[in-house]
Amino acid sequence: MRRVGGGMSAFVAFAVGVATILSLLLGDNPALFGGQAGSEELARRLALPGDVLLRLVVIVVALSIVIGVANLLFVHVGRAARGAFTSAVVLASFAFTIYWYVSRRGDTSLLEAVQVPIESALAALLFLSLTLGGARILQKRADIWGLLFVVVAVIVLLGSIPLAELAPVKALSDWLLAIPVSAGARAILLGIALGAVVAGVRALLGQDRAFRG
Amino acid sequence: MSEEFNWLEYVEHEESAPEPERRGRLSRLLSRRPCLPGRPRLRLPRLRRRFRLAGLAFWRRRPKDSAPEQESATSLLDQRAERPLEDLDERLQFLRERSISPSQPSADAQQALYEVDDVLVTPEIAQKPGGVISAGALSKAQRQQVELLQDIVGGATQAEEPAGRRFLPSQALFSLSAAPRMIAAAALLALVSLPFASSDFAVGALPPSEFPEERPGFAAVYEALDGLTGSDFALVALEYGPAAAGELDSLADLVLRHVFARGVKPLIVSSNPIAIAHARNIIRAINRSVAGSGISLLPGYDYHILRFLPGGALGIRELNENFADVVKVSAKGISTGLQLDSLDRVKSIVLISDSAETVRNWAEQVVAASDNAPLLAFTSYSAAPIAQVYADASAEILGLVFGYRDAYTYGEELQASFGGVPPAPANNQSSADGTRDSQANQPQEADAMGERPQATAEPAPTETPLPSATPPPTATPAPTSTALPTATDLPTATATLETIVIVEVRSPQQVRIRRGPTTADDILRLAQTGDTFEVIGANGDGSWYQIALANGLEGWIAAFLVDEGRTTRAAFEAGRASASARSPTERVVLERGFLLSLGKNGPRFYQADAPILSDIHEFVLMRDRSQEAPRLEAMTLGTLAAVLLIVVGNVLSAFGALRGRADPNDRRGSFDD
Repeated sequence: MRRVGGGMSAFVAFAVGVATILSLLLGDNPALFGGQAGSEELARRLALPGDVLLRLVVIVVALSIVIGVANLLFVHVGRAARGAFTSAVVLASFAFTIYWYVSRRGDTSLLEAVQVPIESALAALLFLSLTLGGARILQKRADIWGLLFVVVAVIVLLGSIPLAELAPVKALSDWLLAIPVSAGARAILLGIALGAVVAGVRALLGQDRAFRG
Repeated sequence: MSEEFNWLEYVEHEESAPEPERRGRLSRLLSRRPCLPGRPRLRLPRLRRRFRLAGLAFWRRRPKDSAPEQESATSLLDQRAERPLEDLDERLQFLRERSISPSQPSADAQQALYEVDDVLVTPEIAQKPGGVISAGALSKAQRQQVELLQDIVGGATQAEEPAGRRFLPSQALFSLSAAPRMIAAAALLALVSLPFASSDFAVGALPPSEFPEERPGFAAVYEALDGLTGSDFALVALEYGPAAAGELDSLADLVLRHVFARGVKPLIVSSNPIAIAHARNIIRAINRSVAGSGISLLPGYDYHILRFLPGGALGIRELNENFADVVKVSAKGISTGLQLDSLDRVKSIVLISDSAETVRNWAEQVVAASDNAPLLAFTSYSAAPIAQVYADASAEILGLVFGYRDAYTYGEELQASFGGVPPAPANNQSSADGTRDSQANQPQEADAMGERPQATAEPAPTETPLPSATPPPTATPAPTSTALPTATDLPTATATLETIVIVEVRSPQQVRIRRGPTTADDILRLAQTGDTFEVIGANGDGSWYQIALANGLEGWIAAFLVDEGRTTRAAFEAGRASASARSPTERVVLERGFLLSLGKNGPRFYQADAPILSDIHEFVLMRDRSQEAPRLEAMTLGTLAAVLLIVVGNVLSAFGALRGRADPNDRRGSFDD
């Protein structure tokens, strides 16, 4: 039965994927049908399955957020019952935030008072970590790559300092950002696009079955 | 704690359960069916084989000429329920055993897993309730990577801790090895704090006050927003979380102020639920900054925070495909009253994001489908390199503004555009030859809904030279450089008994208060019937009064639209206090002349998509800019210190390596690995 279920789920995924792709490719494009009478209606109808399926995805994702919150609560309730103090703090914070929001008719000041400062501070700590890491890179990686990393980091940082004396360095920094970094960024974008295509094809062919959980 | 749940035992127990218990329900039912002696029972696996031969799983079948060990892991996983464990490949059995008890691999297992052992690393999990950091133990390879990272960034090495002992941050904080890092961190913190304490520590130049010529997209973004009018809508996507708020809030604040100052209603959306809540707080901060002017932004009227867009890129796509439906519901789940049929009703799409991927999603899913709304991208500094590539290659993205330095330049341009300097009456004086542009003097008043033109509502100013800057109101009489009645003969014993000249709006329609005594001057705000203002001057022929506004600004109002009178300052202030006692909602509604019905569900506003005012300068002029320069100077100092630290640290490391202290065999983490 499990095999049948697995085959059916793979078949459904394949069918839905193909239907969505065809709908997106052919739908809402009357020119594909020669612009003859009724081509607009045909194009509209072809676009319908893709729209419906994608809207269903959005609804499922929205529902999954609720399920995720519930799951998180259950996990921490279990951990708190076994004596985990941090889980108890999480649950208490959750309850207090809900109470605050409801009792104050949608007041989100807790977000500004707690979450934004904490996350901003964590982001600022990244500056410290990267700086200290940059200062120790040659100590742990005394090779050409480590040296290259240090040189590039220093050039880019110096280039961002608004001092007239550093204008030549800024020109070099701009070149680094415009050429090598841009090339790398384009390569990353190409890689992402190719990866997305490959992942989609694998999912359609049943090689990847993350949907089975 | 002795009754603690042990998931490892649970896994062991489940995997070693008798085979019939792991069959499916239908299989168990079939196995219970009576059968004739000597006849085999009908077993489900045969049915399964038939299904498989029918082609349901054809893409997973093994090629005929392939070896058994080439069968895919997915296929083996699927067959797990119907195959006994002993049928599994030997190496898979050893891998399974190792995953259950990783610390005791047998000699046979080590031999069988040769060359696979380093690839298929089994994570070791130690269940320790009460600890988050210490909950997961790491494999050898993972521990080596962690050690390398900790060596580089300067954390304590967990591997040095005794097994099962929790990592205590205090040990790292006060250990001798952490002292240099603590000193360096404290020095950095002190350095970046100095500009906030004193302006003597300013280093480097502030960003330019004008858009750099080498970045035409920057100016294009500003001009696109500046060209909006009160009848337009701007879609503002806030796509960043609290971690990026420190950098992007300044850009979001400027964009929203620019939009509000142009009288445009922003439609705020996001695929990030936290950003939805954060947007509300940003607008509250803007509201607080302009509170002194009597202006209050009203949710559902002056701006709309739309519902959350779940699904990432798909949610963004849904905004494009079902725009009319999305804009009907606010973030609080109530109706917005907006009747916008398509995205084409939006004149500008503003994206403020901390991720280059989000920029790509918006450009592909939304902007590409819009005929007349380009994407104005505002990103964090970290997202800029990749976003810039996309902005350069994509026709849908008009320009890219990024980082706090760009925010400063944008703010300077905004301030200059909206008159950071108080308006000079000289701007409204006659030209050198004593003539005026008759076209500019044509009355072009709008009605309450901002439609234009309408019948004459303000007189054309005469060519009489206007008075110079009028002195502010004091205990002395009101300015009398014109035919205005003076108040010199009125009692002025105390400030409260001081008599002042006031005007009261008598026009049944809204009256515009302008920056100067011509209809060509900018509109500062609107006045309602019955509003009173203190007169502080007039133009030469008395056709315009110069009045004091509540926010400390000065404006001009046409004389024929008001009645002049006198009162004591005490009475005048008392009347103003009474007016200000109205709720912000009431004041905004009265100020803007919109219909309000108090239903059982609270106030409801009509014509929510109608235009409102234009050029509400308070949103720009009343912006708090006191921390802008110190923040930029702190950034400069921090960058300088970081460069210094990196150079000194690595020079010392290089000297150490030359003196032979470095281990030449230590190649952990090198790119060759």
